[in-house]
Amino acid sequence: MRISGLIGVLAFAAPALALSQGRPTLAFRGDAGFVWVRSDTAAGAAGAIRLRGPVLGGEGRLVFNGFSVGLGLSSGTLQAANQTSAKRDLIEGRLLVAARPVPWLEMSVGPLVRAYVTDAVTERWVFWQARARVDAPIVTSGLTSYVELWRAVSSQVNLVAGAGRVQGGEAGVTYRPPQRPFSLRLAYRVDDAAVRGGGDGSQMLEAVTVSLVVGGR
Amino acid sequence: MTRASVLLAASLLVCGARVSRAQSASDLLRQGVQAYQTLEYDAAAALLERSLRRDSVTGLADSLQTRALTYLAATELFRGQRDSAVAAFRQLVLLNPRYRPDELVFPPQVTNLFQEVRRSTKAVAVVVPPLTTVRTRLDPFKARLLTSSLADLTVSLAREDGTPVRELYSGPVADSLLVSWDGLTAAGTPADDGRYILRVTPRSPAADGPRARQVVLDVKQQPPDTLPWPPTPPLLPERTLRGPAFQSLAAGLVAGAAVVALPSLLAQGKDATGARYAVGAAVGVSGLVGFFARKPRPLDANVRANAWQRDAWKRRVDAVKEENAARLRTMRLVVRAGPETIAERGSP
Repeated sequence: MRISGLIGVLAFAAPALALSQGRPTLAFRGDAGFVWVRSDTAAGAAGAIRLRGPVLGGEGRLVFNGFSVGLGLSSGTLQAANQTSAKRDLIEGRLLVAARPVPWLEMSVGPLVRAYVTDAVTERWVFWQARARVDAPIVTSGLTSYVELWRAVSSQVNLVAGAGRVQGGEAGVTYRPPQRPFSLRLAYRVDDAAVRGGGDGSQMLEAVTVSLVVGGR
Repeated sequence: MTRASVLLAASLLVCGARVSRAQSASDLLRQGVQAYQTLEYDAAAALLERSLRRDSVTGLADSLQTRALTYLAATELFRGQRDSAVAAFRQLVLLNPRYRPDELVFPPQVTNLFQEVRRSTKAVAVVVPPLTTVRTRLDPFKARLLTSSLADLTVSLAREDGTPVRELYSGPVADSLLVSWDGLTAAGTPADDGRYILRVTPRSPAADGPRARQVVLDVKQQPPDTLPWPPTPPLLPERTLRGPAFQSLAAGLVAGAAVVALPSLLAQGKDATGARYAVGAAVGVSGLVGFFARKPRPLDANVRANAWQRDAWKRRVDAVKEENAARLRTMRLVVRAGPETIAERGSP
């Protein structure tokens, strides 16, 4: 499954690379955010687990003629909300291939791997996402709002119950100061992953992120 | 069939007779001139008199009449018939006051007699173009007066019913005079449509003075073409549009609402944190910022450019107004002139 997905991503990226005639540019994004996780995937055990904590991350993109290939990574340590000693490390990695058929729409596909790591066990999710993002300029290109929705076309989790429907979205605003090579972004993200056959078992992740983007469009 | 043939034959006979008579007038003139040149003056006088007796249809044209009269006068002079020669020359002067016998063809005693007759015969002629387009005040109608000797004349224009319209000239004419009419009446208005009479009369009528001449003028007004108004110039917008401001507001508010609504849409039944409200509010405020940044405002450069365009357009309108007023002042008249005739004494 992973191999076929990777082949699909590469097949999607190959025409983009072939068609690109302009000079590729690089864009980097640094993220600092705060994450809230509400997990009841272990329903019937101790009820819902609520975790929260800061997360740092980054993403690099190679952009060319409306197409881009990106690789992102973020991690942080989440503490239980009830002040118990339980804590988990959150690690996310993401690969994407994106195309922008019109200036206000970006469509992307790619895998996202999310892992909750404790001393005893690692809960690992793998989503193959299809994403669509709409940009709406507020003040020409200087101030732009966006809304992005995604849904997993394939998902796996190393839990007994297995992964069910997984979807999410993100909305925010991007500000590019005049004649500056960078832009700032404020975003809110929510992901919801249901566990198959697990009754009401699901995991919801919320994140508020402030980002600094350098280069790119 | 027989009836038609008879009619055709009769028509041919009549036409043939007319042609032969016309030819005979010029033939008579030619034979008369030949007789004069061979000094057969009696024969020449007879032939030339016969050539001049033809009626106006089949007779000689004016130019041939003057030739015939000149040769007739010379012939009569050499025949010793001085009175007849004077009479022929007088007729010649009346026919064409500017005519002069060719001094290379006729001897001095002939030309001297002609000059003597010309000085004693007061004659006047009016020459006008058959068709003239007059632009009032600009392009006048012109008539040339020809006199055989110094004459005191009045040139006037009157309606057909005799109502005076304008006196164009009054004074002496030594040889010729060009008289102009600017198309206006004495009141300064363009002449109305209708028939007018251009009359040349001696100021002091006398028995031996020139006879009055007149030409009928058929005047028709043609309204002038006026220029169309210049098209209004394309003006630039003087204020920014409202649309972009509301688009900015909508973009911010929709994105802010999306932030708040995302958990409800994507994770139904889950307790989301309140952090989304803060982010949603921030995004919404950015929409407000965009609204105020792009709200309609005057575009000074466009206002200045439009003012210049409007001024230029007003100047063009004023120029067209002025031109149209001038064109309306200068009415176009088409003047068709009839033949010159002798005005009856006492006629209006």
